[in-house]
Amino acid sequence: MSYGQKTEMVAMLLAGGQGSRLGILTKDVAKPAVPFGGKYRIIDFPLSNCINSGIDTIGVLTQYRPLELNAYIGSGQPWDLDRLYGGVFILPPYMDGKGGEWYKGTANAIYQNMNFIDLYDPEYVLILSGDHIYKMNYDLMLDYHKEKNADCTIAVIQVPWEEAGRFGVMTAASDGRILQFEEKPKEPKSNLASMGVYIFNWQKLREYLNKDEEDETSDNDFGKNVIPGMLHSGENLFAYEFKGYWKDVGTIQSLWEANMDTLDPNVPLELNDPPWRIYSRSSNMPPQYIGENASISNSSIADGCKIEGTIENSILFPGVTVEKGARVSNSILMHKVVVEEGACIGYTIVAPSAEIGRSAKIGASEGDMSGKVHDEITVVGEFVKVGEGVTVPAGVSVGEDIFGEEAGR
Amino acid sequence: MSILGIIFSYSERENLRELTRMRTIGSLPMAGKFRIIDFPLSNFVNDGIYDVAVIARENYHSLMDHLGSGKEWDLMRKRGGLRVLTPYGKSESGRNGLYRGSIEALSNNMHSFRRSLADTVILVETSILHSMDFNYLAETHIESNADITAVYTRQLNGYPTVPMGVAILRFNEENRLYDLSINKDDMSRQDVCWSTGVYVINKSLLESLVADAMAYGKYDFNEDIVHRLAGNLNIQGYEYKGHLLEVSSVAGYMKANMNFLNPVFREKAFQKPIYTKSKDSVPARYFTGCQVKNSIISDGCRIEGTVENSIISRNVIIGKDAVVKNSIIMQNTEIMRGVHLNHVILDKDVIVRENRQLSGHVTYPVVVEKASII
Repeated sequence: MSYGQKTEMVAMLLAGGQGSRLGILTKDVAKPAVPFGGKYRIIDFPLSNCINSGIDTIGVLTQYRPLELNAYIGSGQPWDLDRLYGGVFILPPYMDGKGGEWYKGTANAIYQNMNFIDLYDPEYVLILSGDHIYKMNYDLMLDYHKEKNADCTIAVIQVPWEEAGRFGVMTAASDGRILQFEEKPKEPKSNLASMGVYIFNWQKLREYLNKDEEDETSDNDFGKNVIPGMLHSGENLFAYEFKGYWKDVGTIQSLWEANMDTLDPNVPLELNDPPWRIYSRSSNMPPQYIGENASISNSSIADGCKIEGTIENSILFPGVTVEKGARVSNSILMHKVVVEEGACIGYTIVAPSAEIGRSAKIGASEGDMSGKVHDEITVVGEFVKVGEGVTVPAGVSVGEDIFGEEAGR
Repeated sequence: MSILGIIFSYSERENLRELTRMRTIGSLPMAGKFRIIDFPLSNFVNDGIYDVAVIARENYHSLMDHLGSGKEWDLMRKRGGLRVLTPYGKSESGRNGLYRGSIEALSNNMHSFRRSLADTVILVETSILHSMDFNYLAETHIESNADITAVYTRQLNGYPTVPMGVAILRFNEENRLYDLSINKDDMSRQDVCWSTGVYVINKSLLESLVADAMAYGKYDFNEDIVHRLAGNLNIQGYEYKGHLLEVSSVAGYMKANMNFLNPVFREKAFQKPIYTKSKDSVPARYFTGCQVKNSIISDGCRIEGTVENSIISRNVIIGKDAVVKNSIIMQNTEIMRGVHLNHVILDKDVIVRENRQLSGHVTYPVVVEKASII
């Protein structure tokens, strides 16, 4: 079945992963719903990239803890994705006459939703993931894909050699043709890493997804099975090199770094970019109030915050309260966090609605960080209460309320 | 009982100088990120009233632009929802031009009110802001068997005088209105009941009163319905005791904004959400060396200088060594390095170039018109 109206390219956004390396931050939410940059969530980046690139038909594949993500995306209106034809669709695993199963892998997730893609009868399918922070024009990548007459185009970015082993790595000829693809190799032969952004000719991909499904030994994964399979069969695979800012925010460390990058004028990640806005669901809060005793430097502060303390190199999400005498540095305070009088927070990510008691000391202070840079980010989980005077050492994750003596164990 | 809210987006008695030259009072920025009309609209929505008409008269482009479909106030509805009623070329009398008064404005839009399924109407004006429990008000109205309920207040909220041009109401021992006069002087008066501009009335009664008044060539709701018919109609008073802002003059507008710096007031005003058009701006950015004290800052701002006791709207840039005190700065304004502003209202899209200095006074702030370059 199809609507009888052709859509040139449909985007499929893989948003089912837990992101277990983010620890307690993804205890109750899927990774793409993790807050980022003072008012956004990670998924705002691929969604905004789509709408800014002229792609208005998007399937979001969910599986792990989808409630918050579903509620967040809603009708898609904040991203201009509430459309008569197309728009954004949440696609969870489902049952049919023969039963049903969870998404077994990235390729299987698309396989299970072939009907959805066929509704729009697209020429091309764009596969995206919900774990990266970047601003990219997919339309330019599509132009490249057409120009190369490719069956599959993979967006790649140069990464430092020592990190290449964490990614899918490609060896490409000078014209961009991919010669070799290795998923997380021990000894990488190239530092061109896959960004997890693929454009496929839909009919070609359909054929390979069917083949992949028949193969019982397959992990049903794009990087491990489908792409090596296509390469092996001699299809035209091309690498499209992306030059902008791109960061995988799969770990606490990298999430913290990417947030801090938004404060660094030397990093090419400008969020205040009217032609390429990042859209998000608005928090409907009053504007922020900065009090008599506040002192703020190099920070980003969102609506609804009440600040009486000292804020340095930090990112505060909507509705955060920082009381008198409290000091927050090099930290990320998510929605509605409360920091009471005299508390001190450094190099820490505080998840939504957590409360930091009077004079508590969380994470590393400026002095402790000598030489170690910021290797040890402290995390305080959602709704966690840290009691008065409690000390939480650098690098610890606090998932439950702590009061008094037991601190830091 | 179901309620239709009618908001007059303009005010006949306002004197806001340059601020309303290009816009109607309803679309005037307020408390940083909001426009005045957001307050009555959100008040209705927070009280579960989703049938709201906004009467526009002139200069309503910015209002229309702001309201759009009403989606952001949750007023894009199949049943009821937001209706923005603009004047059309000719009125029923075949006249061109502005409404001769609030009665004519109601009369010309009666076809729209008739379509509403509501039986009770709450009329609201935009130059006085408050947050009333409209459901309780309407219940009181029904229980008291009043033809019209007139909402008044006795407080001055720190204003030295009763605002110019508001109606002063007089009630007898049974709380029934017997007289209405318009405040024309600046004299300080204590303990008078002055109208908040909010009236509750049965819809079909409103319809017949308006038709009747039009037939006699009477156009002002206060004068020609409330005052003239006080003897025949049972007009009951209802005292509003909550917080209130009066914004019909520049000094009043300034004071109303500055009220939001008071934590107690802010707590009350934002107890329930105030909705507004979302702009997708980035969070406010504070740079090293900035000094911000006792101020409201909106998203999209970039602050390098000093800000004290001020209300800053969205996307305002305040350069290095600039000092902004006791001022209201509207959106998309750029204040370059070394500028000094004190008691100033900068309308939107203004640019103040390096090292300029502007200073007004509490009672007479300097107002800089939209899109000026200084």
